[in-house]
Amino acid sequence: MEVEDLGHHISRRFNEDLERVRNSVLSMGGLVEEQLDRAVKALSEGDSQLGLQVAEDDVKVNRMEVSIDEECSRILATRAPTAGDLRLVIAIIKTITDLERIGDEAEKIGVLAARLATVERPSTNYRELRNLARHVKQMVHGALNAFARLDTKGALDVVKADSAVDEEYESIYRQGITFTMEDPRTITRMLDMTFTARALERIGDHAKNICEYVIFMVHGKDVRHIGVKNIEAEVEQGTRRLESRP
Amino acid sequence: MTLPSRWASQIAALAGLLATALILGWWFGGPGWWLAGAALLYLVYTLRHLYWLDRALDGHRRVPLFETRGLWAEAFARVDKLRAKARNRKKKYHRLLREVRESTGALADGGIILNADNEIMWFNPAAARLLGLNHATDIGHRIDNLLRHPDFAAYLKAPSGDGITVASPRNDAGWLHVQIIPYGTDQRLAIIRDVTNEKNVERTRRDFVANASHELRSPLTVISGYLEALQDAGDVPEAWQVPVAEMQRQAERMTRILRDLIELTRLETADASAARDFIDVGGMLKPIVQEFRGRLGPTVELALETDAALLGKESELHSIFYNLVNNAVRFTPPAGTVRVVWRAADGGAVFEVIDSGIGIPEEQIPRVTERFYRVDPGRSRASGGTGLGLAIVKHALQRHEGELSIASREGEGSTFSCRFPRDRVVFRSDAVSAVL
Repeated sequence: MEVEDLGHHISRRFNEDLERVRNSVLSMGGLVEEQLDRAVKALSEGDSQLGLQVAEDDVKVNRMEVSIDEECSRILATRAPTAGDLRLVIAIIKTITDLERIGDEAEKIGVLAARLATVERPSTNYRELRNLARHVKQMVHGALNAFARLDTKGALDVVKADSAVDEEYESIYRQGITFTMEDPRTITRMLDMTFTARALERIGDHAKNICEYVIFMVHGKDVRHIGVKNIEAEVEQGTRRLESRP
Repeated sequence: MTLPSRWASQIAALAGLLATALILGWWFGGPGWWLAGAALLYLVYTLRHLYWLDRALDGHRRVPLFETRGLWAEAFARVDKLRAKARNRKKKYHRLLREVRESTGALADGGIILNADNEIMWFNPAAARLLGLNHATDIGHRIDNLLRHPDFAAYLKAPSGDGITVASPRNDAGWLHVQIIPYGTDQRLAIIRDVTNEKNVERTRRDFVANASHELRSPLTVISGYLEALQDAGDVPEAWQVPVAEMQRQAERMTRILRDLIELTRLETADASAARDFIDVGGMLKPIVQEFRGRLGPTVELALETDAALLGKESELHSIFYNLVNNAVRFTPPAGTVRVVWRAADGGAVFEVIDSGIGIPEEQIPRVTERFYRVDPGRSRASGGTGLGLAIVKHALQRHEGELSIASREGEGSTFSCRFPRDRVVFRSDAVSAVL
């Protein structure tokens, strides 16, 4: 009787540990989203101070990554999780790496925004970049929502959105080349714009990675590097399997 | 103990049956068999009714009954009555529930019920619309996992005041106001309101004030410039010398008002929290006090009771100190005194200006930090204030998480205290341990 009680107690504590670390991943996600938000705001409003502030605040993201990482190692070492719990911990370890990279890219955008704020602004006020940023922000938001809800359908939507973001990046890049050929004086600005677009595109990739971990976590299938079609098939199959389970 | 009549009749019927069987048995012979037969008959009769009672309790309605009175008829009637009552009650609750659901659904504000772990227990359609929640998947999830803004997470941990305004997770330009109200044992209700319009109006107002002040400044510079040139030229006719001097004074005052307005809008629009530069408060207060000592007016005393320093923004802290001392000096007669105190208190530190001036009527104290609010319009304008000093103090202090409290008694003087939280204060002993 006592042994059983103890076992129950340990597993409850274990559940709490897992839940806590999952929650802290999502609050790290919230921080990263805010960083990205502010970096994009600095860009669109030409606020160099805000841009530099974003770059400075990246330490907060880094600090959270380290602490969640430690917590995960502790869980692995002391609880030796298996099956779904193990997948959760592995997915968390991978997710925070991508979140931290998103934070780094946001830092980069902040610095670039601060630099772009000091030069003449194009008449469109970086409309293409703002569009791209909006899509990327939606992707990050969708990825974190999918993580919170363990929603593989939502994750799949984000994965699908990535190719549109890649195309947008491509067109900004081409546009940049055209402009610099027309007027070489804009080279510096165009390079900075391209770097910004590149950073945004990378953020989209990281969001996509997070979604792949969500699918791994829920269905136990590694869906990296297999193409959108195959991922879709895996998600469908996995969902059916989950639904047929009594 | 008296039995209900239905039982009496039932027992009488049974007794009658047994008695009849006994008489018949005595008449025809074999009374035991007759008795057993009668008892069996009664058992069948009872079982049959039990069977139908069972069916009736299961919800079967048509019960074939032989009699219209007696124990069984009454029992079935009571079952029917109970069932009808239950049905009515259910209908009533159903209707009530539907009304509640419809009315909460019609609310424009979102409502979410949270349990002690901040998990979503229930939400109305408006909340679903504002936050993008989904009934099928989101019940039981923690709200801070879905609404991840760091400010909201901090507010959720320690809900205080009138809620918090965060960017909408669904709409790029949208703003939501969230307030959390605890109720019951450990449940909480989050009320969510779309404040995008209010935010926009507020912003338009602020932009207007900022732009207007900027636009007014350049023509004013030209006017002041020419007025000065006119006075310097020295050939102003006698009759115009006083008016020109007055014009120059008023132009100067207008410049001051515009400068304060611009400062105020800057404080309002700036980020929520001020920078954390190391500021030596004593070093900042001495020149300010010195400046006021040089003028005609009340005696100004400085008491530095602690060597604590502040983490804040230099220009804003200077604004706070200067405006409060300036205010006190202006409203204190030359014979009075103004005491400026910097002391440690409750972990944090307090900056205090105590004057023996004219004081503020009690009912007006809450209003003095409003912009352009004047206790005594004639007097304060004559003393050269802009009417914005205390508003600036309040906003600058808010950006340092500080608190302004005002105590005053009419005719005896006022005390303005700025309390800075522990987090912003560095005691020299702290500094030493930090180095070690």
